[in-house]
Order: sequence, then C-alpha cells, then structure tokens
Amino acid sequence: MSEVERHDDSRARFSLRVWRPVLARALAHRGAVAGLIGSGMFVAAIETALPLIVGRIVDEARAGERAELAPVLAVYAAVFILFAGGVWLFIECAGRVSTRTADRLRRDCFARLQTLEPAYFDARPTGWLVSRLTSDCSKVSGILPWAMLDFAWCSAIIVGVVTAMFWTNGRLALWALAAVPAMALASAVFQRFLIRAGREARRLSSAMTASYGEMLLGARTTKTLAREEANLAEFQQLSGEMNLWAMRGAVLSSVYMPLMAMLAATAGALVLWHGAGWVLADEKVSLGTLIAFMQFAALFAQPVQELAQRFADILNASSAAERIASLLATEPAIADAPGAQQPQRQAPIEELRFESVDFGYREGVPVLEGFTLTARRGQTIALVGSTGGGKTTIVSLAARFYEPRGGRIAVDGTDLRDVPLAWFTGRIGLVPQVAHLFAGTVRENIRYGRLDATDGDIERAARRVKAHGFIEALEKGYDTEVGEGGERLSTGQRQLVALARAVLRDPQILVMDEATSSIDTATERLVQEGVDELLRGGGGRISFVVAHRLSTIRRADLILVIEKGRIAEQGSHAELLARRGRYWELYTNQFAADREREVLHLKDAAAEATVASLVGDGEGDDA
Amino acid sequence: MAGLRAVWRLAAGEHWTLVAAVAALFVSALCLYLVPLIPQSVFDAVFGDGSAASAISLRVTGWLGGADALRGAMWRAAAAMVALAALAGVGVHVKTRLAAGAAERVARRMRDRMYDHVQRLPASTLDRIPSGDIVQRCTSDIESMRNWLANQAPEIGRSVLMLLIPLPIMVALDWRMALASIVCIPVMLVYTAVYFRRMGPHFGAKEAAEARMTANVQENLTGIRTVRAFGRADFENARFAGTSGAFRDADARLFRLFANFWASSDLLCFAQQVIVVALGAWLLVQGTLELGAYFYFITVVGMFIWPVRMLGRMAVESGKALAAVARLEEILEKQEERDLDPAGRDAVALARDGAGLAVRFDGVSFAHPGGPKVLDGVSFELAAGQTLGLVGPSGAGKTTIVQLLLRFHEPAEGAITVDGAPLARVPRASIRSVTGTVLQQPFLYSKRLRDNIVAGMEAGAADDARIAAAAGTACIHEAILAFPEGYATMVGEKGLTLSGGQRQRVAIARALVREPRLLILDDALSAVDAHTEASILAALRARAARQTRIIVTHRLSAVVDADLILVIDGGRVIQRGTHAELAQQPGLYRTLWEIQHLSDAELESLDV
Repeated sequence: MSEVERHDDSRARFSLRVWRPVLARALAHRGAVAGLIGSGMFVAAIETALPLIVGRIVDEARAGERAELAPVLAVYAAVFILFAGGVWLFIECAGRVSTRTADRLRRDCFARLQTLEPAYFDARPTGWLVSRLTSDCSKVSGILPWAMLDFAWCSAIIVGVVTAMFWTNGRLALWALAAVPAMALASAVFQRFLIRAGREARRLSSAMTASYGEMLLGARTTKTLAREEANLAEFQQLSGEMNLWAMRGAVLSSVYMPLMAMLAATAGALVLWHGAGWVLADEKVSLGTLIAFMQFAALFAQPVQELAQRFADILNASSAAERIASLLATEPAIADAPGAQQPQRQAPIEELRFESVDFGYREGVPVLEGFTLTARRGQTIALVGSTGGGKTTIVSLAARFYEPRGGRIAVDGTDLRDVPLAWFTGRIGLVPQVAHLFAGTVRENIRYGRLDATDGDIERAARRVKAHGFIEALEKGYDTEVGEGGERLSTGQRQLVALARAVLRDPQILVMDEATSSIDTATERLVQEGVDELLRGGGGRISFVVAHRLSTIRRADLILVIEKGRIAEQGSHAELLARRGRYWELYTNQFAADREREVLHLKDAAAEATVASLVGDGEGDDA
Repeated sequence: MAGLRAVWRLAAGEHWTLVAAVAALFVSALCLYLVPLIPQSVFDAVFGDGSAASAISLRVTGWLGGADALRGAMWRAAAAMVALAALAGVGVHVKTRLAAGAAERVARRMRDRMYDHVQRLPASTLDRIPSGDIVQRCTSDIESMRNWLANQAPEIGRSVLMLLIPLPIMVALDWRMALASIVCIPVMLVYTAVYFRRMGPHFGAKEAAEARMTANVQENLTGIRTVRAFGRADFENARFAGTSGAFRDADARLFRLFANFWASSDLLCFAQQVIVVALGAWLLVQGTLELGAYFYFITVVGMFIWPVRMLGRMAVESGKALAAVARLEEILEKQEERDLDPAGRDAVALARDGAGLAVRFDGVSFAHPGGPKVLDGVSFELAAGQTLGLVGPSGAGKTTIVQLLLRFHEPAEGAITVDGAPLARVPRASIRSVTGTVLQQPFLYSKRLRDNIVAGMEAGAADDARIAAAAGTACIHEAILAFPEGYATMVGEKGLTLSGGQRQRVAIARALVREPRLLILDDALSAVDAHTEASILAALRARAARQTRIIVTHRLSAVVDADLILVIDGGRVIQRGTHAELAQQPGLYRTLWEIQHLSDAELESLDV
C-alpha cells in the first residue's frame, strides 16, 4: 500500500508520538504558550470565584447591609473587567501560537521537500503534497493552542471549584459532584461514535468531490455514451451513504448535548434537595452558599464537554499530524556520502561516464540495463528513439535526479556519489521538456540561472537565444510579470525564457529535453534557433539532448539511438543514415512529420514569418 | 429576503418538519426557563417569610404540594427540576434531529440534483463555466446551505425564543428588573452585526494570502526538478518564507480582531449582568424585591444574554449562506439538453438496431456565439454503411462536423438529416445511443477496465464474449489480459495509468461493444502505431454494411478505402472525392499523401 493510501483519514490510529514535531514547534513560542496557559487558568479562577461573589451578594442583601453591599458589587464588576482581559489575552496568545506554529511547520516541511529526490515526487501526486503543507499544517496548529488552553482552563476549573466547594462544605460538595462520573462516561462513549461518524462523513465527502470532478472531466464522453442515468445512480449511492453517516452523527449529537445538560440539572437538583434541608435545619449552610453550589454543579458540564471535544479534535487531526511527522522525518535518498569531497581542481568537468548502469523506476521493472557511455567536454550527445525507450531516464541520471541501481556514473573518474551534491548541481543546467517558470518578472525568471547576474548579463543571454525581441515587445519588457507558472506567456515564449536561463547559467553539463511537437507555430522557429544557439555555444561543455527536431539531431556530435534501455545504434548523423537501420527509419518518419506539420500549418506559417521579422528587428543592435 | 424564499423553495417537502422543529425548540426553551423557577419559588415560599412571596412562587410551590409539605420533602422540588430538564432535553433532541434530518435530506437532494443537472447541461454551457467553480458550488455551497439549515437557522431561532420566552415571566415577576435585564441587548445586536460586517475584508485578505501561498507551493512542486537542477533550494525557501509569513500575519490579524470582539462583547454581556445583579441587590435591600425573584433574574440573564450575543454574527453569516444558495440556483436555472429536445409528436426516435445510419449535411454553417464562422456551407451525403474520411489542418472544423452530428451544438445555417429525418427533431439521447464515438482525448472512468468498456450499455447487456470481441477488434484484448488483474484492473486516479494509445483503444472497444449504427473516430488513433492502426481498420472493415463510419484523421492511410473523403480547411470543403480521385488532383491531399509515402528514391536524396 502506498503512503498516499495508507495515510487515509479513516484508518488513523492515535498516538501522541506523532504530535511531537508539532508540539516542539509550538513550545518554542514560550511567552505565548505561557500567556495562553496563564490566562486560561486566570479565567478559570474568576469563573470559580463568581458564584462565591454572587452568593456573598445575596447573603449581604438579605441581611440588608447596604454598606457591606457596595464593595462586593464593585469587586463583582472589577472581576468582569479582569475576565474580559483574560479572554482577550488567551485569544491573542492562541493566535500567536497557532499562526507561528503553522508557519514554522510549513516552512520546515517546504525546506524538507527541497532536499528530496525526484523519485519521492514521482510517487506522490502534487495535489496530495500541497495539502500536506496547507490544510494539514493549518489543521494541527489550529487545534493545538485550543487544546492547550482548554486543558489548562478545565483542570483549573475542576481543581478550583472542587477546592472551593470542599473548603465551604464538604458534604454538599459531594452532592454537587455526583453527576460528574456520569458526564465523563457519557462523553467518552459518545465521542467515540462521533469520531467514527465524522471520519466516514469526511471520506464520503471527498469521494463525492472526486465524483463531481470526474463527472465534469468526462462530460462529453458521458454525452456520447448517453449514460447520464447510470452516472446518477452511481452518484446517488455515494450521496445516500453520506446521508446515512451524517444522520448518524447528527442523531448522536442530538442525544449527547441534551444528556449532558440534563446531568448538570440533576446535579443542581441534588444540591437543592439536600442543601435546602440543611439551610432549614440551620446547619451552617447559608442560602448564599446553596445558590453558589447550585451554580457550581451546573459549571461542571462545560469542562467535561470541552475536554471530550478537544480530545476528539486531537484524534481527528492525528492523521494530519502523522503525515507531517513522516514528511519531516523523511531523509533524502540522494545526499552527500559521508566522505564526499569536492574535487581539488577548479577546471571544468572533462568527462561524464556511465559504466554498465542498471536502472528502473520500480523494483523489477528495468529501464536501463548495462548502459555504458562516455561523454567528453565539448560533445553534444543527442538521444533519439521511440517513447519509453529510456532517453529521458539517461538525462535524468546524468543530472543525478536518480541514483543507478547497478554500475556507476563517474565524473572525471570519481563516482558521482562521492562528490558533494551541491558542487555537482552547481555545474548543471536544465532545459526541461515543459519549461517551468515561476511567478515573478521575466528578468527574475532568467536570473534564476545565475543569481548574481547583472541586468546586462540577463539581456545578453536573452539576445543570444533570440528571446530579447519578444520580451521587449511585452508591456513592461523584462519587468513583465509572467503569472503563476508563466501562464501569461505562450508555451514557446516560456521555452525561450528557459533557454535564456540556461545560457545565463553557462553550465558545464547541459541537460535538455526538447519539447515534442510544435508548441505554437509563432515562436517555433525562434525556439529552434535558440536551441541551436545554446548548443553552438557549448564548445566547453557536455550537452545531453533528448532530441525531436531534425536540426537539433543533425547538429549533435554523437547520436545515440536508444531502444529498450540500450544503445541500439550510435554514430554521427551521416554514419547512421548510411547504415539504413533504426535511425534511418526514425529520421525519415521525423522528416515526414516535420514536412506534414509545415503543410498543415501553411497559413500559420505566413503569420509566423511576420512575427519573426518583427522580432528580428530587436536583434539588430546586438552586434 | 429573496435568499430566504429560495431556501424555503429548496426545502420543499420538509416544511412541516421544520415547523415541528420550531415547536420542539419552543418546548425546550420554555422548560429551560421553568427550571430556575423552582428554586426561585422554593426560596421565596420556604425560606422567606412567606407573606412577601409572589403569586407565581405560590403557584409553583402549590403545584409541588405547598410550602409546608416542601419543607419536609425537598426531593419533590429536585425531582420537578430534573423532570423539567429532561423535558427540555427531549425538546432539544427532537429539534436537533428534525432540523438535521431536514437539512441532510435537502442537501442530499441538492447534491443529486446538481450532479444530474450539470451532466445534462449542453457542452457549450459547460465550456463557459470553469469546472473548479462548478465543483465548488456542488460541494462548499451545498455544505453552506446544509449547515445553515441544520445549525445556523435553528440557532437563530433558539436565540430569539430564548429571549422572548422569559420576557412575560420576567415582567410578571418584576417589570423594573425585566427592563433592566434587556437594556444592553439592542446595543449588542448592532455592535456584533457591524463588527462582523467590518471583518469581511479581513477574511478575504486571509483567504487571498492563503491562495497565494498555496500557488507558491504548487508552482514549486511542479518545478521541483528545475529547482534541483539549478540548486535553488535556498532561494525557494526564502520565497516561501515570504508567502507563508504573509499568510501567518493575515491569520494573526484575524485572531487579534476576534480577541477584540470577544473581549469587548464579553464586557457588554457582563455589563448587562452587573446591572441586573446590582439593581436587584439594591431593590432587595430596599425590600421591594423578593429573594426568589432576584435569584430568577440573575440566573435567567445569563441564559439569554450569551445566545443573543451571537445573533448579530449569525445574521452576517446567514447572508453568506443565502448567497451560496443563490449561486446554486444560478446553475439550476440553466437549461439542460433535454429541455432543448423536441417533445411529443415532434420527436423522431431512431431505430436502435438495423443497418448503418444514413447521414446528410446540406449547406451547414456554424459559428460560436459572437465568433467567426467555424464551418461554412458544408454539404455531403453518406448512405448506410458508407465510410467518410475527414482530413485537413487542425482547427479546420473537422471536429465541429462531428459535434454537430452528435448535437453538441446546433448548426447556424443549413440542415442535417439522419435516416431521412431532420436531426433537429431527433432527441439527443436517441442520436447518441445509435452512435459509437471515440473522442480525440478519450476519457476513461475510474472503474475497472471491464466496466469502462460496457459504460455505454444497459447493465448486463454485454457478456464477456462480446466484450472480448470488441476489445479484440480494438487490438487491446491481449494487452488487458497481460495486466495483473486483467479486465478487473482499475484505471484512473486510483488505478493503473494507461498510455495514450491504450486509452484510445479501450475507448474504441467501448464504442464498438455497443454495435452502433454510426461509428465516429475523431482522430482516435493518433497515439496508436501505424501497424496497430492498420489491424484495427481492417477489423472494422469486416463489419462494413452494418455500420456507417466517420473517420477524422491526419494519417491518410486510414481513409484510403473511404467512400468519400472531404479535405477541410478554414471551415470549408476544399477538396472532395475518393482516394483515387484526390491522389490525382494537385492540392493539399496529394501533398500530404506524398509526404506520408515518400519513395525510397526521395529518401535517398535527403541530405545524407
């Protein structure tokens, strides 16, 4: 079972251990936690004192002591002001603990994710990980301060009230407390079932959300199959089950709450029954005391209820806490070996060698077997072959996204596992198949390649890959915001920015996964020229390209035809063509596909020419 | 008010349940206020000198057997208290159960109704609303409505009843104290309503900050390889510290506002209590108020003041719930496809079985509302059992022809006839159920492979042999058997991820198993290799006469045998004929054909 399934809410088991990382981060805010607990106890003390004060007022008023009454009333009012102050303080402190703990947790989880290897992300959907950092972190840190507060408040109330009562009248105190065991028992029993019902309802609720999503995704297919009624019947099963669990939960609550209120009233009645007798018999129980005790008896229902509720909250959030704890405890599988040493020489990397490398994404499903290749400085190596053959795997290994399962990859003779990861990644440049931009300006996105680059460097890099023209044409030029994931740029424009970024980085090892097909014809030619330029400038580096464009393939020094995880053919373009083998087949197919695309986009091509000439104007002053 | 009426309409069938819930609420609130009346009466009649006891106190003690009897049997008072509390408890239970039951049933009906309604909306309507928006309405908006019906509305009712019920008792006991008990309430109502309205933008700011942070995480995780390759973990951590911190601060601001609100509204509530306690004590000393009544007032003021404090807040939150209901209604008002279908004698149902479907387009044009023409005067005629090939650049209008035939859209001009009947008179379900369609990007349901293949059939209508035959024709049978669980393999999010070619072939099997009279392959073999494509097409040809076929493709080898080929460009038919005819004419068709079938001699001449 994968982690994604195992951490399903419905199967969580409670253990305080999973709360340790959350608790540690919360306790780091000592002042706020102390304020929270202190104000909770302070408020509890006031709530305990209030019935006593009211009892005193009643007694004084009955005695007709006007002079004694005024100070007691003043105390009464003052206590309320203190109480409000306590309330303000605990909400403020709870806010600090909650928001700061959440922030710390999120940032620690985020930082941890940055160190993890791509294989970790292959196994987990992005949306699933996003929920860990957003809803899980908010959930656990939202619950924690209130649990702390209520434990402080409840224990203080219970201790305070019990002390006050026994101090005043021990026998009456026993009657006031008579209902507490029943309250505790009822809470334990009901919460158990309520938690179960809550979990089922949440599970069904997310199943329904998924069902709505699928209905929308498949709307057209559903129409072509005319299967609306079958769809609805399936959905109704879900919504029916949801209804069942929601009703179970509602019925349980509808019994629990009144039951608790009734138990509290019973305690009050018991106090009245016995206390009144003693008042009448004049056994040193004043009427004020009796009234105070009746209020005390009612006071107990709330702490018991709150404690049960907080305990249920913690149980409900335990699976979230567990997911966070497990993420924070995940060690990167690709990290510096204990003895990893930075190579002494500062010279560029001369050679990257695959030595009978075995690799597979999953155990028992090999993708590469005994793969051997030597890449030297100045070489551009194009990888071609049918999909699933292992081309992308090879470049991913070259970038150390994965570790070989067998054999080794050596950089200038040293095993890649024995050089520091940071040293190696500092020399790598990546152009992925789908260019990845970040929210920010065009300039910031290019600068991503080299953080200390000047604006001039950035512009020069953009000019080299022919990106300058389109950037200048944007509303704010280099300062244009690209939007989330670069959404405001076209796919081709994003590619150009990614190319500029790689040029700016000037890496010793370039890893490029060429986009498969025409993205948008308007920028297609520019991208092609940009790629050519990037590779042309590669005299001093090793370039690996998963190539789809003929021009890119032809330009390579070495072409590897990868089939089923092995090199089926290798050589220069001319050599391979002369062989009339697999490469010949691929090449002619690609040739036809390129021509076909040209023909089918005849009209677009005209527009493209216009754009190219427009953009070309921006290139003039580059000499 | 319009929102309230809408909720009332959506709760049709539950009206009496809701009325009963209000009645139960009334009983429980009444009992709750009667409970403190007992100790109050006991204090007055039993502990007081008796002469000053109020009429109410005397009556209550009278019910309990009189002051003298009570003196010896105080358990009677206690038992009466417990009995009343129990009755109040039963009332609360009944109310909660009825209200929750009504709310859950309304929500369930709404969920089902939205599901069915949305899946029946015309494709053009669905295209205009982002799917995230619809899911949002179906989930959180329905939840807001449910929550309002189950919790907020009863809570508002309870607060109002809790305030109204003790009023007559209080006035009967002592009108001065009664007035003093409610002086702060108007202030409190206005204060909370204004406060929560003012807080609205801060809630919005927090949500916006959270959305920005979530987008940051999403973006980072999508580009995690880029981050890694460029060694930018520190940069990313710093950036995230910014968005996460902004969210933290926005959240903390809300906490501060809540702290201010609770503390200040606590003070207002306390002020109300202090007024009652102080005035009562003063009157007590003066001798114009009995102890029992005093006890009753100080108990009761604590019972209604706290719920009333929430009224203002709930009024504001109700506004949000009612807005959610309005958003649901907005979707429900949109017309379903079946509302647009011809009905009664106008409707022409196509025979489910029989020979291939005859199709005829007569000068058909189409444009999206406000857009340019996507199709312009397309005409063709396809006899039963014939094959039509549609080729041309992407975006030329080939798919639009298919969509018009399936009645996803209606032609702006011209007429389409099927089996001699105007398509406009054929209900959508009818034309679709005689058609087997494979869309460009086929969608598979999160079900077992077998269930996916029979997704377009009546339950139990296809046996294993028929399924295997269809899968065999689609060249996917062997591949399915090779999966660990064969036809029982789950696909989709929680199951196996199929390759594009496999998905296309499963979709073809799904279309074929229905034995449709018209088969439409809309670029449905694009991810299948040429060899497999040829086998599938050969197997289809064997079915010839029973089926009319429309094949949209870029690979011309798929249409060489077609009875008619239309070359579409810019929404117009630029060439028409059989392969033999078109291959002779100069034009787009021949150019494409030559590219796709370069001779060896031409290949030799490539720049070797």
